[in-house]
Amino acid sequence: MSGTRPPVSAIRKGVPVSDTFMTADPHDTFSLLEGMLSSSAPRVRDGVAPAVFEIRALDVSYGSKRVLHDVSLELPEKRITAFIGPSGCGKSTALRCLNRMNDEIPSFHSRGKIMLAGQDIRGKGVDLTALRRAVGMVFQQPNPFPMSVYDNIALAVGEHEGRIARSTLDGIVEQALRQASLWDEVKDGLKGSALALSGGQQQRLCIARALAVKPAVIMLDEPCASLDPISTARIEELLLELSTDYSIVIVTHNMAQAKRISDKVAFFLMGRLVEMGDALQVFEAPARSETAEYISGSFG
Amino acid sequence: MGSITKQGNRRIGSSIGIALCWAASIAVAAVCLFIIGYLVFQGWHAINWHFLSTDPVASLSEESAGGVRTPMVGTAILVLFSIVLILPVAIGAAVYLAEYMDERWWITRIVRIGLETLASVPSVVFGMFGLAVFTLGFFKFLSSSGTEGGSMAFGRSFLVASIVMGVHILPFVIKVAEEAIRSIPKSLRQGALALGMTKWRTIRKVVLPAAAPGIATAVVLGMGLAAGDTAIVWLTLGGTMTMASDAWWKFSNWLPVLRGAGSTLTTFIYFNSPAGDGNSPGAAFGAALVLIVLVLVLNLTAQLLFRRGSKAGS
Repeated sequence: MSGTRPPVSAIRKGVPVSDTFMTADPHDTFSLLEGMLSSSAPRVRDGVAPAVFEIRALDVSYGSKRVLHDVSLELPEKRITAFIGPSGCGKSTALRCLNRMNDEIPSFHSRGKIMLAGQDIRGKGVDLTALRRAVGMVFQQPNPFPMSVYDNIALAVGEHEGRIARSTLDGIVEQALRQASLWDEVKDGLKGSALALSGGQQQRLCIARALAVKPAVIMLDEPCASLDPISTARIEELLLELSTDYSIVIVTHNMAQAKRISDKVAFFLMGRLVEMGDALQVFEAPARSETAEYISGSFG
Repeated sequence: MGSITKQGNRRIGSSIGIALCWAASIAVAAVCLFIIGYLVFQGWHAINWHFLSTDPVASLSEESAGGVRTPMVGTAILVLFSIVLILPVAIGAAVYLAEYMDERWWITRIVRIGLETLASVPSVVFGMFGLAVFTLGFFKFLSSSGTEGGSMAFGRSFLVASIVMGVHILPFVIKVAEEAIRSIPKSLRQGALALGMTKWRTIRKVVLPAAAPGIATAVVLGMGLAAGDTAIVWLTLGGTMTMASDAWWKFSNWLPVLRGAGSTLTTFIYFNSPAGDGNSPGAAFGAALVLIVLVLVLNLTAQLLFRRGSKAGS
């Protein structure tokens, strides 16, 4: 991959016209500018996007072990936010709070506020099905279901839409696969097993699966950790395209990756949010010495 | 020098250990091959179209002893009915044990102990117990009436034997099915939950389809177990070598057949073998060969299903 952002016309490939133009984003001029920037420099985009998620004073513990201390941050809308930090720093835990995947862990306990569209998602009355539809998730290991490519997406759609006409479903599947830049590779083998795809294709299928239910946020937990550099580049390219329409949060160990694709960076260390800011600022002029040490590779 | 000697001893020790393990595995294969070889040698000449297509006759002479047609049919009925009867229970229990039960709950321990106990009960005890229960008048609908006007049921029929056999193979099928469900990677469940599926929908739509080959393996192995059991058949299918109902092949006779007594390959072997009640070793070995082939085919099918399943799951 060249590393430069594709022009806006290419970014919007596969995105329905209504979605693209009805929600025209005033900051899009910045994307245009960015296409000319090289990949080595952190991305520059306006930092004053409205927040999609607001985390306030979040404490998390597993049993008696405290894993997050007093974390407060805002995730900007239609931007890519990267959570970075050494293993065990709590970044994945923070991510999994956003769709309440931690609920599966019996000893999980949290305090604080996690506001999505003005509503605290930690409440008992929250419909997890609706929450997880709005906040899609992609995992470290690609985890397509052992069924056909088509059924992987149809299953996700069916969960939320109920019975729908076959032609409508076909359209949704195609659109999701196009958005995930996978359509051209799988269009002749939609009935083939998803497990026959390469790791990178499987990961893009998982992204398509998440996109098919029309989320507002897509979270990715080290999505490229098991992929080769070429597959990684394709995923990064894809995330950049998607960031014009979706808010994206990515946990990554790869500093170069965070530099290449993120607008905002949050650095976690030992369960605390050390610093969060525009990617350019965090990488070029970190406010805290721990951040500087981490991104320069002194530890972690 | 000292360390070198020690290493030498250790190497000799490990060579002996490996040799013993090798010998043990070869011994197992040899015993298995010897039994099958002996069965083929003894039973081969008994097997012909006549043997497979005639019904058994209680006779003292080998020539007029008849064949294994109705015992084969009996084995098929018993195996199919016992597995179909217990399958919903087995899958339900396996899902609950694998997905919902917390190993720290006391009820989980009780269920586990219950399953292990059930699995270790000898089949003759199940047979005896089944006979005691199903001869109660209440269960007359399961078997042909006992003595005319009596208050007891006959208590011996394909239906009764299928139920008792079902209980016998139940813990085994549950165990294998539970392992199949547990072997589905957690990442698949997480993926489904992250899409907003409830736990139940995740199990139904993702976990069970993925575990289907493993569950099929459990079913086929359970069928093999049912096909091979003798004591339950002997006690609860009537202690006879022949099918009680005439014209069993007529579909309209399905109820009398199921409520009637009969035999399977295992009881045919018993009643013909000099070791049992009969004096027709040739017929017994012939039936034993048929049975072994049937069980081998079932086990190979299970292996095939399992291999295909693990290929799809990786």
